[in-house]
Amino acid sequence: MKILVAVKRVADPNVKVRLRADGSGLDLAAVKMTMNPFDEIAVEEAVRLKEAGIASEVVVVSVGPDKATETLRTALAMGADRGLLVRTEATTEPLAVAKVLSAVAGEEQPALILLGKQAIDDDCNQTGQMLAAKLGWPQATFASQLAVDGDRVTVIREVDGGSQTIALTLPAIVTADLRLNEPRYASLPNIMKAKKKPLEERQASDYGLVIEERLEVVRLEEPPTRAAGIKVKSVAELVERLKTEAGVLA
Amino acid sequence: MIHADDGSLSQEQRLMRDSCRAFVDDAVTPFIRSNWQREWDMSPGERLPRSILEGAETIGVRTLGVPEAYGGVDLERETEVRTFALISEEIARGDSGLADKLVQNWKVSILLREFAPKHLQDKWFPRLLADPQFLLAHCLTEPRGASDRWLPYNVPEAAMHTKAVLKDGHWVINGRKQFISNGFDASLYVVYANTDSSVGMLQGTSSFLVPRDTPGLTVTKCNETMGCRFMNNGELVFEDCRVPADHLLVQNTALGSAGQYFRAGKIIQAAKNLGVGVACFERTADYVQNYVQGGRILIKHQAVALRLADMATRIEAVRALIERASRAVDEGHPDMDVLCNMAKVYASEEIMKVATHALELHGGNGAMLEFGIEKLFRDAAIFLHMDATVDVSRMKIIKTMFPATAGKYAGPEN
Repeated sequence: MKILVAVKRVADPNVKVRLRADGSGLDLAAVKMTMNPFDEIAVEEAVRLKEAGIASEVVVVSVGPDKATETLRTALAMGADRGLLVRTEATTEPLAVAKVLSAVAGEEQPALILLGKQAIDDDCNQTGQMLAAKLGWPQATFASQLAVDGDRVTVIREVDGGSQTIALTLPAIVTADLRLNEPRYASLPNIMKAKKKPLEERQASDYGLVIEERLEVVRLEEPPTRAAGIKVKSVAELVERLKTEAGVLA
Repeated sequence: MIHADDGSLSQEQRLMRDSCRAFVDDAVTPFIRSNWQREWDMSPGERLPRSILEGAETIGVRTLGVPEAYGGVDLERETEVRTFALISEEIARGDSGLADKLVQNWKVSILLREFAPKHLQDKWFPRLLADPQFLLAHCLTEPRGASDRWLPYNVPEAAMHTKAVLKDGHWVINGRKQFISNGFDASLYVVYANTDSSVGMLQGTSSFLVPRDTPGLTVTKCNETMGCRFMNNGELVFEDCRVPADHLLVQNTALGSAGQYFRAGKIIQAAKNLGVGVACFERTADYVQNYVQGGRILIKHQAVALRLADMATRIEAVRALIERASRAVDEGHPDMDVLCNMAKVYASEEIMKVATHALELHGGNGAMLEFGIEKLFRDAAIFLHMDATVDVSRMKIIKTMFPATAGKYAGPEN
């Protein structure tokens, strides 16, 4: 069974990002970039399925800039077998990525496609769902547990107020939630070995596609800064302010 | 800024740096922050829990320098020392003692890779790989002195006091070794001993591989140090310690061969030191942007900003020299010995100033044990002395630059 995993290069969630002075977008020039954390979980799950003898090959694919080869190398160092970069300098919107991934799936014929549930930069949470629609495959989003048995995959999903267990017939799409697993570090020996693994680069036009930006960002704003606290003189004043200003007491 | 510029690194180096930083941020720093008392546990074996070395194993950082055939990490040789510098800096940013524990393994592994006959590599590399707690140590220094007495006074009078004699198929070692990094914990030691007292030490010193359980080898104590306390520095005594003849590493010319170890060692030393400086800067920059004094955050007080700028400048200067020196070693440049010692001594003095600023800018908190800045200050201070003192390093620089004058032996003292 072949698994295809989609990964995105995003700003490191541990760094503070700032807006460009003109508010047109984020200033990422000097920001450390990394693999989208949910995609890391998807890669880890695929590698575990391979280690368990269930998957025979793990292919990682990214739609993004040249530097996304580094993100793919990280996935190869984690244990994926082969990488594919579909190069674009455009902002990667979910629909465009879903179209590319669907074309890649057409070529690769994987039994299972794993993605992160969302990217932490635009928080769209759409690519997996759109890909399922494009391919006409069953989907299980927000997976916190996954088990493959023959041509069926059973997924426990994280839903509001609890969990839902569903069974899908392969080929299928699964998007990873936070609790699916704890991804491994790319170890130093594996980083050196990953250097020798194949990594192919292609263009969207190779699939007869054009990656276009369909959304227009009107404006971006920093979140409001938190106002300083105040000191009250008495309990009576505290209660009064909790009623009138904070609105937490009736 | 402050960290290595990504543009100067290869893709593999960046990925390795990222893995090391993630491990340090996830496992090492939280342990140090919440277990600061462990440093003062007087049973040295209890200080660093086994889980930390096991964690280090998940990123494969203990076995750098071991050939890939044995399961180690085969770095690009043309940038190997630069990569060592990068990784040791990242680990030391979490804890310089942990970094020292690990780098001793790399340094000794290089020696084994270059000089150990195949049967010894076949025997010891697999054991090193199999056990996350397996540490190596390099035993050179003796109670009566180290490089201050020996180098480059290549005369019989300056020979090592530890002696080895070949008897009935065994080398019999007698003597003492002190201030040995990993000395208290190591499973396997590289030991240097005099094997010909009629010649200078460059011609009469041999090296041996001595397993910890060899009869006649006693680990006598753990040295309680001011900093770098998670690396257990030890003292060893050899009393008719019989080592099989096939555990000889290099006969008579061992010290010349150890250049491989010394050069990489000086660079790693400077890089660990830099990691302590980076930790000082990160902690301090965070503190002065959040702590309010006199109605405004500290960084808006100009006296504070000036010190912070000084810290950043010194860190960048140290980094620049380390990069130049490590490139020189990787390329085998004729100035590499001088540059290694320069990087080592410069890092120690500059980062000491960086740590002093960090202590000052934290005010009273800087002196508190539980705050962690005091630890960084002690960790920085010990670098002045570790792997040669500041003065000995400077002597080496001048003796190497002026071999015909400063490098000439002036004769024994009467």
